[in-house]
Amino acid sequence: MKAVPTTIAAENLSKAFSGAPLFSGLSFSASRGLVAIAGRNGSGKTTLLKILAGLARPTSGRVRVETDAAPSASARRLAVGWAGPDLQLYGALTAVENLAFFRRAAGRPAGDAELTRRLRDVGLAEGAIHRRVEEYSTGMKQRLRVAFAVLFDPPVLILDEPMVGLDVEGRDTVDRVVAAARERGPVLLASNDERDFARPDQRVDLTPAGARA
Amino acid sequence: MSFLAAAWVVCVKDATEELRRKVAIVAVFFFAATAVTLVSFAMVGALALPPADRPPLEAALLWIILFFAAATGLPRAFVTEEEAGTGLALRKTIPAVVVLAGKTLFNFLLFLAMAAITIPGFLILLDWKAGSPAGVAATMLAGGYGLAVVSTFLSALVARAGQRNVLFVLIAFPLLLPLLQAAIAATIEATAGGFPATPLRVLVAYDGAATCGAYMLASVAWED
Repeated sequence: MKAVPTTIAAENLSKAFSGAPLFSGLSFSASRGLVAIAGRNGSGKTTLLKILAGLARPTSGRVRVETDAAPSASARRLAVGWAGPDLQLYGALTAVENLAFFRRAAGRPAGDAELTRRLRDVGLAEGAIHRRVEEYSTGMKQRLRVAFAVLFDPPVLILDEPMVGLDVEGRDTVDRVVAAARERGPVLLASNDERDFARPDQRVDLTPAGARA
Repeated sequence: MSFLAAAWVVCVKDATEELRRKVAIVAVFFFAATAVTLVSFAMVGALALPPADRPPLEAALLWIILFFAAATGLPRAFVTEEEAGTGLALRKTIPAVVVLAGKTLFNFLLFLAMAAITIPGFLILLDWKAGSPAGVAATMLAGGYGLAVVSTFLSALVARAGQRNVLFVLIAFPLLLPLLQAAIAATIEATAGGFPATPLRVLVAYDGAATCGAYMLASVAWED
């Protein structure tokens, strides 16, 4: 069977809160590479990414995701990885327990060795991964968010301000995650800092008055 | 992975969190223990009532305690996810119906644990006679499940609302009234020594309808 190229497409998306449009008529499509989502504070970057991740509904328009994933609703749900500033994981559980919970509940294997490797990949040390998440620093929580985003090896990756709170080593880690993911499929990354966009293949600028792709 | 296995994973996660934080468990059990003790002091005069007059009073008191103790813990199911900010991660990875089933299961187990404390308290402190232990057990199972499924669903419904506590009580009262009426009627019959077949049928029918309604609307309540 011919492989379907992974594609995420925004089709005429609009979102309004209390009548005022945050953005409107936004259309773009990405199959591979880095899509930089830029815009000032309050321009709708986080809302747009949540809509693309299936966590919020647009006022009008639709999001189309085409992947090789099985056509079940569950597979479609996991085909788009997402992490944003308002994502929190369970503070009373350790990092490994958090990842194991989400893997098991989604019906995926959750071996300790595999999860430990994933946490090491985002720069969490051996001593940290068995500590409760409520004891984590801001940077460690940010690394855990990135591990959550790629937990199911999604063909589409959406990261909202992934560099916030990270040190130089943490930023390098996110750069590596993004570099690997953009080879597989589209990576949509929102940031207020232009330095976070490493050679973007496409750019979507949001302005308060509307959206321009 | 089966639906029930995934729901069990959610239930175990909730139980692990609760056992580590002990927020709902402490509140629920403290309320239940305090209420049973206070009722036992207040009921000293009622112990002189003729045995035939006591079952309605005891059944009503038992369910008032169970209901209000449950009301301190059961509605937290989804509300805590929103307050802690973990709801987004759940919605991103697990279907709403699985989360609802897992949290209903946890709430049902919490109710049974609460009943396991309240009923012996009633037996000892109020000299309560459960004439039909099987009838009481069946009533607790059917009544507790109904309470768990409706409370869990309403928790999902109000989790992101501003006045969620007020909203929960306003919606819960009319929805849970038929369940409490049937549970009290079943407890009265079981206390008197008979097996409460008719009120149990009502409870089972209520549970079935509540389950169907909750699972059909789970996605709308939790994800939209």
